[in-house]
Amino acid sequence: MQDGVLTTAGVLFGLSGAVSDRSQVILAALASTAAGALSMAAGAYLGTRAEAEVLQGELERTRKQARERPYIVQEGLLRELAKEGLDREAAYRVVKLLSVSPRALLTTAEQKMYGYGGGMMGNAALDGLVMGVAFVAGALFPLVPFFLIPSKDLGLAAALGATALALFSVGYFQGWLAHSGQRWRCGVRFVTIAIGAAVAGYLIGMAISPLGASAG
Amino acid sequence: MLKPGDPAPDFDLPSAVAGRATRTRLRDLKNELVVLFFYPHDFSFVCPTEVTGFNHALADFKAEQSAVLGASVDSVDSHIRWAEELGGIGYPLLADEGGKLARAFGVLDDKEPVALRATFILDSKRAVAYALASPFNVGRSISETLRVVRAIRTGHLCPADWEPGVAFGPNELKY
Repeated sequence: MQDGVLTTAGVLFGLSGAVSDRSQVILAALASTAAGALSMAAGAYLGTRAEAEVLQGELERTRKQARERPYIVQEGLLRELAKEGLDREAAYRVVKLLSVSPRALLTTAEQKMYGYGGGMMGNAALDGLVMGVAFVAGALFPLVPFFLIPSKDLGLAAALGATALALFSVGYFQGWLAHSGQRWRCGVRFVTIAIGAAVAGYLIGMAISPLGASAG
Repeated sequence: MLKPGDPAPDFDLPSAVAGRATRTRLRDLKNELVVLFFYPHDFSFVCPTEVTGFNHALADFKAEQSAVLGASVDSVDSHIRWAEELGGIGYPLLADEGGKLARAFGVLDDKEPVALRATFILDSKRAVAYALASPFNVGRSISETLRVVRAIRTGHLCPADWEPGVAFGPNELKY
């Protein structure tokens, strides 16, 4: 979500420094939002799908091995348990006990040997959709005030405020999720980064605006 | 790794035999041949087939005047419990803690450190008559070891895949 906020705010402030026509800025921000959302959605979709395919391949290989040569899975699990501090004999007895149920052996081996947990296979389409929607939702924070307020400067100020508020909220929420005692600091860190990006974007736009004038 | 013709290092190690702790000395073994096999660890899902396989064939080895010894870097207590887990082992399992014996035979994997899956057959003068090392995940053939013991005991030239009852090769030929 913060990608949508930051990218769109960066485009708004950067173009506002370079282009005087407010509608052009809005058009570019909308185009940037659409392109960004599609790019993020496609990236998330492809990433999740590739990861799921790799995980699926590993799981199938392990399951085949467990069927055909269970002692390899048993020995692998025994070594993992030994690495975690069980002595070899205790690890052997745990694995032997688990081997009574092939499913229990396989599930435990997958978790210990390969780090797989249940539900780790992501839904590529859902991940892509969530990423795209989150990007658009983030983009709306700077975009809507700028779009609704006719004055370019006031619109920019409102967009800046909305951006700061959105990023602070994201940072605060992240701190809350992490059970951090420094939720306000997390929020402020996000805002600082956002303002830095916005200011940098605006200054770069100002710096390159003469290039646009000479090209026209 | 020691090769055929090399003198075997003498050893005097704690061992587990038939559920009790004792010591096994190479020089005390009166058998004509000694089969010494190293394996990585007790309490493994890969090794037991070898340990139990030698136990099942123990009478055959004894009939060939051959002693069988297993060795790993585990302790005697571990060997006793492991042998019990396997239903009892009738030959000595040497406790080569620290891997000194495996190192002396050149079969200690320093990374783990455990012994490789290696088998040595020592002749009556306790020199190496036969040496074999196998990958960790490939169990050795007990019947092949027994076949080699029988072949060595003939004192003849034995062709490939020789089995008792098959004609020996002429002594002037080399295989």
